[in-house]
Amino acid sequence: MFFTLIRLQYLKSLRSTSFAKSVMTNILMGFLILVLLGYVVGLGLLLKSILDVAAPGEDYIALLNSYMIYFFLGEFLYRYFIQKLPVIELESLLHLPIGKGRIIQMLLVRSFISPLSIIAILLFLPFSLEVISAKFGFFGAFTWISAIALTSWTIHWFMLWFKQRFEDSLIGLFVIFLVLVLGAGSSYMGWFNLGEIMKPVFDFSLSSPIPLIGMLAVMIGSYFLCYKFYVSNAYLEDLSEEEDVRFVNQSIGLFSRFGLAGELANLEWKLIIRHKKSRTYLMLAGFFLLYGLIFYKNPQYATEGSGINWIFIFVGIFITGIFMLQYAQLFLSWNSANFDFFLSRKQGIESLVRGKYLLFIGVSFVCFLASVPYTFFGWQFLLLHICCLFFNIGILMHLIIYFSLWKPKPMDLNKGAMFNYEGVGAAQFLMILPMFLAPYAVYLPFYFLFNEYVGLLALGVIGLIGLLAFKPLSQININRVLRNRYEISSSFRQEL
Amino acid sequence: MIQISQLKKQYKEALVLDVDSLEIPSGECFGLVGNNGAGKTTLFRIILDLVRASSGYVKINGEDVSKTEAWKAKTGAYLDEHMLLAYLTPDEYFETLRVIYGMSVADLKNHLDRFTELFNDEVLGKKKYIRDLSKGNLKKVGIAAALMGNPDVVMLDEPFENLDPSSQIRLKKLILREKENSKITFLISSHDLNHVTEICERIVLLEKGKVIRDLREKAEMMSELEAYFTG
Repeated sequence: MFFTLIRLQYLKSLRSTSFAKSVMTNILMGFLILVLLGYVVGLGLLLKSILDVAAPGEDYIALLNSYMIYFFLGEFLYRYFIQKLPVIELESLLHLPIGKGRIIQMLLVRSFISPLSIIAILLFLPFSLEVISAKFGFFGAFTWISAIALTSWTIHWFMLWFKQRFEDSLIGLFVIFLVLVLGAGSSYMGWFNLGEIMKPVFDFSLSSPIPLIGMLAVMIGSYFLCYKFYVSNAYLEDLSEEEDVRFVNQSIGLFSRFGLAGELANLEWKLIIRHKKSRTYLMLAGFFLLYGLIFYKNPQYATEGSGINWIFIFVGIFITGIFMLQYAQLFLSWNSANFDFFLSRKQGIESLVRGKYLLFIGVSFVCFLASVPYTFFGWQFLLLHICCLFFNIGILMHLIIYFSLWKPKPMDLNKGAMFNYEGVGAAQFLMILPMFLAPYAVYLPFYFLFNEYVGLLALGVIGLIGLLAFKPLSQININRVLRNRYEISSSFRQEL
Repeated sequence: MIQISQLKKQYKEALVLDVDSLEIPSGECFGLVGNNGAGKTTLFRIILDLVRASSGYVKINGEDVSKTEAWKAKTGAYLDEHMLLAYLTPDEYFETLRVIYGMSVADLKNHLDRFTELFNDEVLGKKKYIRDLSKGNLKKVGIAAALMGNPDVVMLDEPFENLDPSSQIRLKKLILREKENSKITFLISSHDLNHVTEICERIVLLEKGKVIRDLREKAEMMSELEAYFTG
């Protein structure tokens, strides 16, 4: 029975229409995963040398143990964003005469078979064999690495429970925020040293099997917490919970001045708020506003004179336009479930595209306003953001939409956004290039000929020209949609 | 009202639709029947310019549907959920359509009042997204939307499917009333021969993409269709 279920899972992923269609995406993903795991192995092998360089002469083991808790906090965070819940397939199995417990077990075990589960081992095994076994013997190395692996796996089960229980709720966000504050607060702000507090636990595991046994018990406990929760919630109503209706009849008043296009911009805004995938994109835009904090005051990028490092262009483009840059990549795929609605209205397509433009400009402008406090670091950042904003909405926006209209694919908006490659095709990978190159293609010549400010000005002026030529430029993309409307609508009508 | 000429739709080798000539006069209630795969939905989609015809043309009010857009303002349709905005509540959806069609709030209220009976208090005023509605209520929303904006032509694909018996009867009454009052041309595809023969004065039978019967005599419709479908 167990193997039948496993086989079904395998067939399902192999035969899903999106698998065949996006083989290339899958291969790329697999490759990416291998590369990332390769990095982890490399990091693991070099861990000793890195510690050697970072803190010469110290006790590596003690040092590592004192930082171990941060690794797990980090793991908690990336698991929250990446780890997928295994319950989606439940619907087609629940009515069969298979015990619920068995199905849940299968889903849980399957979720465990993932690259995420071996990251901790890959990272710390070389170190434990090389350094710890030399000092504490093989047994010490074994208990140490096992305790680490078990902690990582405990987080795995705990996360499955946590996400299903709290995802998309304020509590979930609050906990994540708390973890962030805990990690950052203790190390940067020096409120307390979390690493030192947790260090004895990991030290203890070097010489005694007790932490290992303790962690094993905790892991089994977390597995059962997860298992119990899933079994008792294995009902369709709990899995695909009806959402509370959000923001009913709330529209952004400003848009209504733009006629039908404005109305559709409002619709798009509702679409964004009411779907999980697009909400994540919006959240990311919020996070990227902080991007400048990493770069602008970083001594590594400090530049004499103007104070504008060439890399800041990129940062400015991201801060003022990240939402648009990401969202527009899947331009029409967002409407894949209701494309026929727009097709069957008079001027529906035209207004849809114009509405999206309007929304992008609006969101970019809001991002720009939110980025004004960076002026605190220097006036040049305000100038930078103004020029990048113009370039984003004058040029890049049209460029990205142009690329995204190359064979758009349908996608399900109710799935999460992280590592969800529905709707992503070759075009979405290729368009990263112009996104990176276009600003520099304008900036660099003027920078080399004159100076940074002229380069920035060139960006701004070209963006402004693009903005003035908005009508004809947007018409190019509108015509492209109209020309390909049959292909687009038939591909959207296909099942995912 | 609608003229179809030499219309063909081919998917690679398979010819799924092949209509020599079909004319639907204004105000007619046109029924389309046929077994699965006969090409009913494809025909509707081509008329609505959602699918490209391989050859031939469809004209609504003399306009080639693939070349102009003006006809869209006077054509309402509900084929499937792709024509709804599933992430809105029904109220928001109608409100959006109101703006698109340039109707006043009072117009919309008048329009929706005609559907009070059909909606049966299960559609309006509920805090529920369209995507969470039952299939029957989904259909009701789609039908009410298709009739918005005083259309000349309304196309409904399987309107009776998924509706409960009372709603089926109410819908039938509603279509007959609209036909009477507003002279709307209805195009209705259905598997339910009783309903479709009752409301339509003309029934066209499709088989493998071809029109094989064009029935206009109400008295003989039912017996002819029954003879065909029992084989």
